Amino acid sequence: MIGKVLIANRGEIAVRIIRACREMGIETVAVYSEADREALHTQLADEAVCIGPAPSSESYLNMHNIISATLISGADAIHPGFGFLSENSKFAELCEQCNITFIGPRSEVIQSLGNKSEARNTMINAGVPVIPGSKEPVFDAETGANTAAEIGYPVIVKAALGGGGKGMRVAETPEEFTNSFNTAQKEAQMAFGDDTMYIEHFVQHPRHIEFQILADEHGNVIHLGERDCSVQRNHQKMIEESPSAALNPELRRKMGEAAVKAAKAAHYTNAGTIEFLLEKNGNFYFMEMNTRIQVEHPVTEWVTGIDLIKEQIRIADGQTLSYRQEDVHITGHAIECRINAENPAKNFRPSPGTITDMYLPGGKGVRIDAAIYSGYTVPPYYDSMLAKLIVHAKNRSEAIKKMRSALGEVIIEGIDTNVDYQYEILNHPDFISGNIDIEFIENM
Amino acid sequence: MKLKDMFKKTNNRSHYISLKTGRPEVPAGLLRKCNKCGAAIIAEDVKKGYYICPKCHGYFRIHAYRRIEMLADEGSFEEWDKDMEFVNPLDFRGYEEKVARLKEQTNLNEAVVTGKVMINGNPAVVGVCDGRFMMASMGHIVGEKITRAVERATAEKLPVIIFTCSGGARMQEGIVSLMQMAKTSAALKRHSDAGQLYISVLTDPTTGGVTASFAMLGDIILAEPKALVGFAGPRVIEQTIGQKLPKGFQRSEFLLDHGFVDRIVEREEMKGVLTQILEMHSGKTASCAASDTSAGEAVGSNIKKDLTAWERVQLSRKKDRPVGTDYIKNLFTDFMEFHGDRYFKDDHAVVGGIAYFHGMPVTVIAQAKGKTTKENLDRNFSMPSPDGYRKALRLMKQAEKFGRPVICFVDTPGAFCGLEAEERGQGEAIARNLFELSGLKVPVLSIVIGEGGSGGALAMAVADEVWMLENSIYSVLSPEGFASILWKDSKRASEAAEVMKLTAQDLERLGIVEQVIGEPEEFSEANLDSVCRDMDRRIEAFLEKYCAMDMGDLTANRYARFRRI
Repeated sequence: MIGKVLIANRGEIAVRIIRACREMGIETVAVYSEADREALHTQLADEAVCIGPAPSSESYLNMHNIISATLISGADAIHPGFGFLSENSKFAELCEQCNITFIGPRSEVIQSLGNKSEARNTMINAGVPVIPGSKEPVFDAETGANTAAEIGYPVIVKAALGGGGKGMRVAETPEEFTNSFNTAQKEAQMAFGDDTMYIEHFVQHPRHIEFQILADEHGNVIHLGERDCSVQRNHQKMIEESPSAALNPELRRKMGEAAVKAAKAAHYTNAGTIEFLLEKNGNFYFMEMNTRIQVEHPVTEWVTGIDLIKEQIRIADGQTLSYRQEDVHITGHAIECRINAENPAKNFRPSPGTITDMYLPGGKGVRIDAAIYSGYTVPPYYDSMLAKLIVHAKNRSEAIKKMRSALGEVIIEGIDTNVDYQYEILNHPDFISGNIDIEFIENM
Repeated sequence: MKLKDMFKKTNNRSHYISLKTGRPEVPAGLLRKCNKCGAAIIAEDVKKGYYICPKCHGYFRIHAYRRIEMLADEGSFEEWDKDMEFVNPLDFRGYEEKVARLKEQTNLNEAVVTGKVMINGNPAVVGVCDGRFMMASMGHIVGEKITRAVERATAEKLPVIIFTCSGGARMQEGIVSLMQMAKTSAALKRHSDAGQLYISVLTDPTTGGVTASFAMLGDIILAEPKALVGFAGPRVIEQTIGQKLPKGFQRSEFLLDHGFVDRIVEREEMKGVLTQILEMHSGKTASCAASDTSAGEAVGSNIKKDLTAWERVQLSRKKDRPVGTDYIKNLFTDFMEFHGDRYFKDDHAVVGGIAYFHGMPVTVIAQAKGKTTKENLDRNFSMPSPDGYRKALRLMKQAEKFGRPVICFVDTPGAFCGLEAEERGQGEAIARNLFELSGLKVPVLSIVIGEGGSGGALAMAVADEVWMLENSIYSVLSPEGFASILWKDSKRASEAAEVMKLTAQDLERLGIVEQVIGEPEEFSEANLDSVCRDMDRRIEAFLEKYCAMDMGDLTANRYARFRRI
């Protein structure tokens, strides 16, 4: 049964889950490390259990202590949030073995989607597009050229043992191929002592588009539209929005169907996200499936009106989905900015410390998911995200204006934050016109 | 602002009606407790992870059959003497019932399991003690099973591996138990005299009569990390001497330091290490990469020939000059280091073990300088103590038993000059090496790679041939010492160097050394390769010549080599 949920996480997501449970009349148990005694989630939950010292490896990643806390507190379910143990199939398995409801997919699904090549094969078999590439290793330019022709230009030649950009070359045309292949192979041989190469279609200037999925244990799978997460720095998302400026209804339908197909092929249950790379020409490719709730889930919640955390709990409890695909309508436009304790001027160095004063905006169409308060000390041990600022308006340009206004009201004193940096992005002409891809921040 | 108890908690609880029923609980057997660190760990992880605690890396004691499973190729284990008649030599009351009960509980017939296995295709006889059975104490049946296994191994020319673990003698069998120590040792003596290999692996705990018999008789003694190994138990010692024992006392690492263990082997590496040892003793040559055929261009012709002796002395001591371990790495493959003299200590100034040279097993021993100050302190600046010479001798005798050539690298300022060295008989240790080496029935080659300091160098250079690197030296004493003895002034060392005739070139002229190997200018680890390629070719020729020799001729020849000087 689900009458009491233990939240195996911290920060704003733990707070978010506690709120959803509270609204449902479900009791909550927070777990906290010694460094999080004063954290909001610890204070907000009905009960709180200390699970170890500050380092995550000894607390928020300590499976045994979390299971023990669950049994002691009498909770019947665990919500893993994101990060930490959320995509750890072993932890999910341990919950299953102990008859604890894990609010997420089954352990074997986490396991098989976590294995990149297995996931890729599942998607190929289900007819979900993946980045075309050579199945077999390639050792010489001639064979490589044939493979490249099959895959379609532009292609990227990659060393099997590659990393750090070494042993990697792009060939835009067949004329360039031999040269690119040989250079990459030579580089690979020098750097890794191995000249095994792979050839892949080169996805140019893609957008990061992901689809939110909900799947119950009775075979129903729906998607809740997309999120555009192209604004990222070092693979860390900074701004997410829904819907994406790059999708028309036709493409949305096609990608949504592919996402549902992908989730079905993986026998997926609960909330999950299918990540795609989208090319300018409208081709899209499956990258991976995230088997958890995501940081940016509020933008989907706002444009669809669906509370994803509540749905997660209901699904884990064995209930059928509250919505059919035709019930899902995208209304207006939502944007989320992540507010982190970091200093953009110093290469985004984390900035833990005590928040001496703060003011967060509000008003129509403004949502704050945060775990901070005035006088709170941000510990140095964990992720630097402090809060998420989400706005909703009837269209993208209104939403941008609202976000700018809201960002202008954010005051966090005592530590450095990326608020001004976010404000700059919101004023960037390319962002405003929606002309962005995953290299946007790099080129800004 | 403190938030304590300011928030309202969930009210009107459980208006949510759950579909699921059933309460969480940990199923029996899912978790177990590590008895080292006390943490709860998943039983399955322990089983899959060689019975090692994933938290503290502490070792669980394991059952004999599990141990064999971890070791043997699948399905290869053939158990011997599974049915042995119970004996009660003292008619000890209650003993029979106890044994009967244990047989039922453990599914073992006694405290040791013996038989034949294949380890990655290498046949071996194994004996594995199981602590569940009266703490694997040695009574008549344990002694008998081990003895029979060893005897059969001797007859079938198979190596023996015994995993020891025991509380010692079995009290219920009194003097008969004591006699098992002699019986098992005697069987191992015959096995050894027949030229056969015995490896003992010490596991936690190995004490008493087992330590004082078959556990300590291995040609090669391996140990699991942190295993308790000793003759008298620590509690008994503490009570007897009325002192608290130091931390780590009688653990494998302590035994390694004190020269009684060749190597500490992690459980996950055990099968691999045993495989390598078995293969090196199988009489087969290893398939190895073909030797570099482009090798053999002698270097050194470009060196200034007019260096003074003192300049060469300085070159031989140069900080970045390659050291013994560099040559081992470069010239040999699969080097497996063995530690300890089996008397008192493992001297880090001497590094020795077995390796392949072009697929042929050889014993390699080097006096080892360090590369950093820290390393040099550990290696005592390559000044061996008696323990170092005794380790070298032990490895040489082992080579003799198994018919492996011995290759020594000499590089020492001299034998260690100190209080402890004299206490333990530095003179005796050096003398013993000269004595034994002169008659060693396998080819011996010594190469002076740096400093050949006096008796400390000679103790590893009574060989069929002695070679020197172009800028190495070999002398009765350091030039400093020479100057101070003869002229009462150690500052006249450079002068002494000139008259001492200590350079490779002088010694070749005097007929003390057979070959001088050229060096590149600015010799360092970076260009060691060129020297090693030359050396490789010469060693190959050496082995070809001396391995073909009749053993009598070999030692006669070695005798004559020194006799004529």
